[in-house]
Amino acid sequence: MKLSSIISKDCTKAAVLFNSKKRVLEYISELAHEQLPDLNPHDILNALMTREKLGSTGIGKGIAIPHGRIEGISHVTAMLLVNKQGVPFDAIDNRPVDIFLALIVPDGDNEQHLKTLAAIAEKLNNKEFCKQLRNAGNDEELYAIIASAD
Amino acid sequence: MRCEDTFLIQNKCGLHARAASVLAQLAVKFDAQITLYQDDKSADGNSVLALLLLESSQGKEVKVVCDGPDAQGALQAIGELIDQKFYEQE
Repeated sequence: MKLSSIISKDCTKAAVLFNSKKRVLEYISELAHEQLPDLNPHDILNALMTREKLGSTGIGKGIAIPHGRIEGISHVTAMLLVNKQGVPFDAIDNRPVDIFLALIVPDGDNEQHLKTLAAIAEKLNNKEFCKQLRNAGNDEELYAIIASAD
Repeated sequence: MRCEDTFLIQNKCGLHARAASVLAQLAVKFDAQITLYQDDKSADGNSVLALLLLESSQGKEVKVVCDGPDAQGALQAIGELIDQKFYEQE
């Protein structure tokens, strides 16, 4: 799966500046609502918060994959945010997080969800790729990095 | 010491992000190199990203290999976690 097939250009945000987990998740909900206008941003935020309560999606090395499962949507919507500084996110290695790859996924399709996660993991497991993401100066550059990595 | 065993992924969601995080957090507690194998892929047990790359869905078998002073304890704990379906509700 190509990352550019699930992350659209207006869902890549470079050098944003949020200072809390809550603000990051709120912003992700707003972005997701723009892509999925039929969904209420509060419901999206709820789905993300519910998932975080089960355990942080901060998976270490400054990376988090906040995600929420929502019924009634047909496809995965992904968003990539790179924050200028690390945000406390209760990550498993206790490190602050600056790369957020957020997902809104249809409820139920477990196999497809694992495929999506693997596609994301493949890219984010590459240190050089993460370095490029962190160095992106604007949204266009950030999107170009994703597109060229596919 | 080195020990290994094979376990069946039984939980509905497979080795998804939360399960992988729980496994990685457990793995770092042991003084052992922990590696998971599935088909031709392998992953360091400490790395969530590597574990996600295994794409282990329900019904897959994973081989867990532990090497180091805590190998036996690590294998037992990880085996139990997988057998207990990562303590998930469904």
